[in-house]
Amino acid sequence: MDLFEPKIIGFLCNWCSYEGVDSAGRSQMTYPHNFLPVKVMCSGRIDTQFILKAFSEGADGVIVFGCHLGECHYKDGNYHMMRRFALLKKLLSELAIKEERIQLEWISANEKDKFVMIISQMVEKIRGFGPLKISTKSNQHR
Amino acid sequence: MPETIGVFICECVSNIKDSIDIDDLISFALNLEDVAIAKPFNVLCSDEGKEFIKNGITENKLKRLVIAACSPKEHEATFKKIAAEAGLNPFLLQIINIREQCAWTTSNKHLATKKAERMLSSGIKRVHFHEPLEAYESDCNTDVLVIGAGIAGISTAISLAKKNRQVYLVEKQPVIGGKAAYYEKVFPSMECCSCMIQPLLNEVLENENIHLFTCSKVESVKGYFGNFNIRIKSFPRFVNPSTCIGCGRCSDVCPVIVKDEYSEGIGARNAIYIPTLTAVPHKASIDKKNCLHFSEQLCNACVDTCHFGSINFEDSEKIIEVNVGAVVIATGFELFDLKNAMQYGYGAIENIFSSLEVEILLNSTVPSGRIVLIKDGSQAKDIALIHCAGSRDKKHIEYCSGICCMNLLKIGHLLRKQLPHACISDFYIDLCLPGKEYQAFFNNIKENDRIDFIRIKNHDSLVISKENNRISLKYQDIVGEYRTAFFDIVILAPALKPSKDTLRLARLFDITLDRNGFFNEGYPILSPVSAAREGIYIAGCARSPMAMASAVVDALAVSGRISSTLIHGKKLKIEPLIAEISNDLCSDCKICTGLCPYGAIDYNSSTKTPSVNKVLCQGCGICASSCPSGAIICRHYTDRQINAEITGLLG
Repeated sequence: MDLFEPKIIGFLCNWCSYEGVDSAGRSQMTYPHNFLPVKVMCSGRIDTQFILKAFSEGADGVIVFGCHLGECHYKDGNYHMMRRFALLKKLLSELAIKEERIQLEWISANEKDKFVMIISQMVEKIRGFGPLKISTKSNQHR
Repeated sequence: MPETIGVFICECVSNIKDSIDIDDLISFALNLEDVAIAKPFNVLCSDEGKEFIKNGITENKLKRLVIAACSPKEHEATFKKIAAEAGLNPFLLQIINIREQCAWTTSNKHLATKKAERMLSSGIKRVHFHEPLEAYESDCNTDVLVIGAGIAGISTAISLAKKNRQVYLVEKQPVIGGKAAYYEKVFPSMECCSCMIQPLLNEVLENENIHLFTCSKVESVKGYFGNFNIRIKSFPRFVNPSTCIGCGRCSDVCPVIVKDEYSEGIGARNAIYIPTLTAVPHKASIDKKNCLHFSEQLCNACVDTCHFGSINFEDSEKIIEVNVGAVVIATGFELFDLKNAMQYGYGAIENIFSSLEVEILLNSTVPSGRIVLIKDGSQAKDIALIHCAGSRDKKHIEYCSGICCMNLLKIGHLLRKQLPHACISDFYIDLCLPGKEYQAFFNNIKENDRIDFIRIKNHDSLVISKENNRISLKYQDIVGEYRTAFFDIVILAPALKPSKDTLRLARLFDITLDRNGFFNEGYPILSPVSAAREGIYIAGCARSPMAMASAVVDALAVSGRISSTLIHGKKLKIEPLIAEISNDLCSDCKICTGLCPYGAIDYNSSTKTPSVNKVLCQGCGICASSCPSGAIICRHYTDRQINAEITGLLG
């Protein structure tokens, strides 16, 4: 049987976290191909609707990366994301989506090892959960 | 109408080509909607590559561009420029990072190609929704407000005034010069401080472009970078500074004698006074709290003496409004309050001084100055100098102020000159002597000044108390032995702290403080003199303890930053990546106005319209993701663009 390959959408803020993921690349560190990046200017820009959209379009997991608390390029955007994230977790459980399918992490531009560790562990975790099955229009088409 | 999208894929010599099947990627791209061309090139950022893209755009009449290459952090600007040169709005371009985030990190070529396909698809779907954007322009005022007329503030003001700008210099004291006006000598050169700074102080008065407001503070702030409106409150001086010649006859007849705060309470002054002999401006001012005219006695002694009719008891508070483009905060420092560290006995035992008090005692221009004496009037025989009082100590102040060691060494050196026969002992845990001059300064003192340097084990073991009319100092030496020594005078070097007004100014200007209470630098290393809020700059000890020379460096850095951004006759260029609010969709909830980290969203309640200030908005998008009505569009990161990107990645 083929190994299940989850699709994981990873939101990256333009500053610390995008740089952090780039630095893993520049160091030619291998990490799972399942990580599919979306760049935004600030983690505070990430609307809960983007995350729900990702699940409805077939993502098996979503991970949000932002600058460490206190290091946001826009002062406090990551705090807004953190608050939104807590609410989103509750919402997901009401939609019968395991709240562990979403994850919020802070990485700085030089934390390439931390990024690779987090994304590798997340892929393994989501692999264990299996594909996300939700009844949406786009799902029925497939 | 179908849009003509061009896809260019960089092979990056072998960096991308070895890990991703370029041919597969090309045929994948050509099957996507509206893709007119999809072409590989060896190195797109080379001159040949740039020409290749430009020709591709014009020959195929491309309307949108997707470039799959290295990280946008590397070459987004390069490719934007090429697009613009080929007549395409640079915002109609999307970069796909298939090198750093795909080719270099995926071990298997097949999987890497599949991931690259998803990424490319996301870029093509996203670019459909890209809109041409143009940079905005805004008028700017090139004048500057400087708060604090210490050495940092004065140096900033003089430097900017030379650039033909109007500089409004606000100082809360009646005199300028800040703490530097206290110093007799400066380390490490031991130059006469007064001789060094006096010309600068006079230049402040004489320069037509500098408008000095003494006895004043900033009351309110409106506006943004390039266009601030500031209200300054000036407190009454009760002496007309334009007619007062500073003769001091008024002080001679004033019957009131109070402690002089300019000499840290060591000396005395009258209710009408000129703080120091070298005070600039050299004008009298009246301390209303202590003046008898304002009491029931209605004293008029000074009025009767003044030949110039300068005294005006009717003088009142004034509000002055100024418009400036930038604000410089240079509010300096104060000393750690030694009364909070009981072990040093400061305030409880006589003849224990802070370093700043001794500076004043040594200063020949302060009325009380010249010789350090024991309070009974006799000369001290045994003097202790103690480093790090309250600093590098987690109980009080954790950081090292970096200049107190040099300051205390300087005091030791000056004392040795004054009291050639006294025994001077210097107690330290470590000495902080960085840079090219400080170590030599210390070596010189150690060799020539007969000062006994005693290394102690830690702060906690040091206790000062009074025994038989002398000051006893108990400490643990470096090998751990408990010892006691007796002194006539103890001089403590406390840490430098942010000045008292710091928190009020931080709130007024909506800028943050660091964990030690100093103003936060926007980026401590690359942009140390800018606050996080655009147009607000911080110089000198207001941002970190530093020596005078460094404060001047800060001042010149601020001046350079302002001169290169606010230019006479030029408009401010504003990136178009900002938020816009649709008035039709807005439901007037005003959630966004409170969330914006820059206060960029204004809601006009009479017309019920929200608006985004283009200069203040930094394009983070926090408002857009929080708007319950979907009324806010975050340009270049719109909902439609991000949703399309997600669809493309997962399709």
